[in-house]
Amino acid sequence: MAEDLVLDTAIRDWVLIPLSVVMVLIGILRYFVSKLMRSSPSPDAKIVKEGQVIIRARNLKAGANFIPLRSFRTRRLYFSNEENGLLHVPKGQGTNPQAQMFSDPNMAMDMMKKNLSMIIPQTLTFAWVNFFFSGFVAAKIPFPLTQRFRSMLQNGIDLSTVDVSYVSSRSWYFLNLFGLRGLFSLILGDENAIDDTQRMMQMGGFGFDASKSLGAEKDGLDIIQHDWALPRFEQRAESVLRKLVK
Amino acid sequence: MGSSEKRSKDVVMSDIPTFSAENLQKNLKVIQNCRTFLSIIAGVLAGIIGFTGLTGFVFYFVVMLITSVGLMAKAGFSADVYFDSWNRVLFDGFLGGLMSFVLFWTYPFNLNIWWSN
Repeated sequence: MAEDLVLDTAIRDWVLIPLSVVMVLIGILRYFVSKLMRSSPSPDAKIVKEGQVIIRARNLKAGANFIPLRSFRTRRLYFSNEENGLLHVPKGQGTNPQAQMFSDPNMAMDMMKKNLSMIIPQTLTFAWVNFFFSGFVAAKIPFPLTQRFRSMLQNGIDLSTVDVSYVSSRSWYFLNLFGLRGLFSLILGDENAIDDTQRMMQMGGFGFDASKSLGAEKDGLDIIQHDWALPRFEQRAESVLRKLVK
Repeated sequence: MGSSEKRSKDVVMSDIPTFSAENLQKNLKVIQNCRTFLSIIAGVLAGIIGFTGLTGFVFYFVVMLITSVGLMAKAGFSADVYFDSWNRVLFDGFLGGLMSFVLFWTYPFNLNIWWSN
């Protein structure tokens, strides 16, 4: 190691710990705010009905092997019959839900609120870090990285001879950002474990496109080969009962 | 994890695997919680002991392996009953805890409590 820098305890007190504490608190705050701001959307009867149909179709798919062949076929026909089957959607109505979603003010507001509540704290914190805490060595990371990472980790520090282990506060911010995910999943309960990074990945594919999922369920049902799973269950029940009685 | 680990596979009809999806998910969540918690603890430990560089990462993988062994022992060494495949028990969430491990590994290094540079 080139030299062993001794970091001032003032750095520790006023940079590292406050930054971590602030990030944890902002995470908790964001969780509660998103809970409060979640306006319950008034359910549209048609969409709820379609959702329930999809659930029923899925149950049928899951339990297909436990009902006799004819029953399964009857049920499947009920769903995918060409004229009045529940899952059959005429081609014309395919693209409606998407357009409907954008014009529906409630849902658009909801999505915007969710996006904002995620982006704003992150941006603010990052700007704060950059403004106050730039230009000095903030922390030492315990493992050495190659020289290529130097520009990424040390972007406030203008010395080029400093070991890459000494990083600026911006990289401390990013380290906290990724590392506190695990902590949040433990303290905030399981359903809110996802935070910025994962939500950003989910942002791409929103939209409950009903007609597409109906069509997908219909295809899924059509594909199934019925495999009667309980062919000799009378004998098996008899043997189980015998074992119990013995 | 004792009472919360539920049987996700019905053992009576043992030739057709049937899974209760809800129980399976619950068990997976339990595994994830264990791993996250242990990776944080491992991070703090690595920082206190003073591992640097590769040794620290090796330590992380050692702790993850111990976690896997522990989870298997808790599941009675028969993953079939509780999960749908062995891989879930053994390898799920290895890398997810890595970032938390690194963060909490860095903490003791910088808090200068135990040793001076």
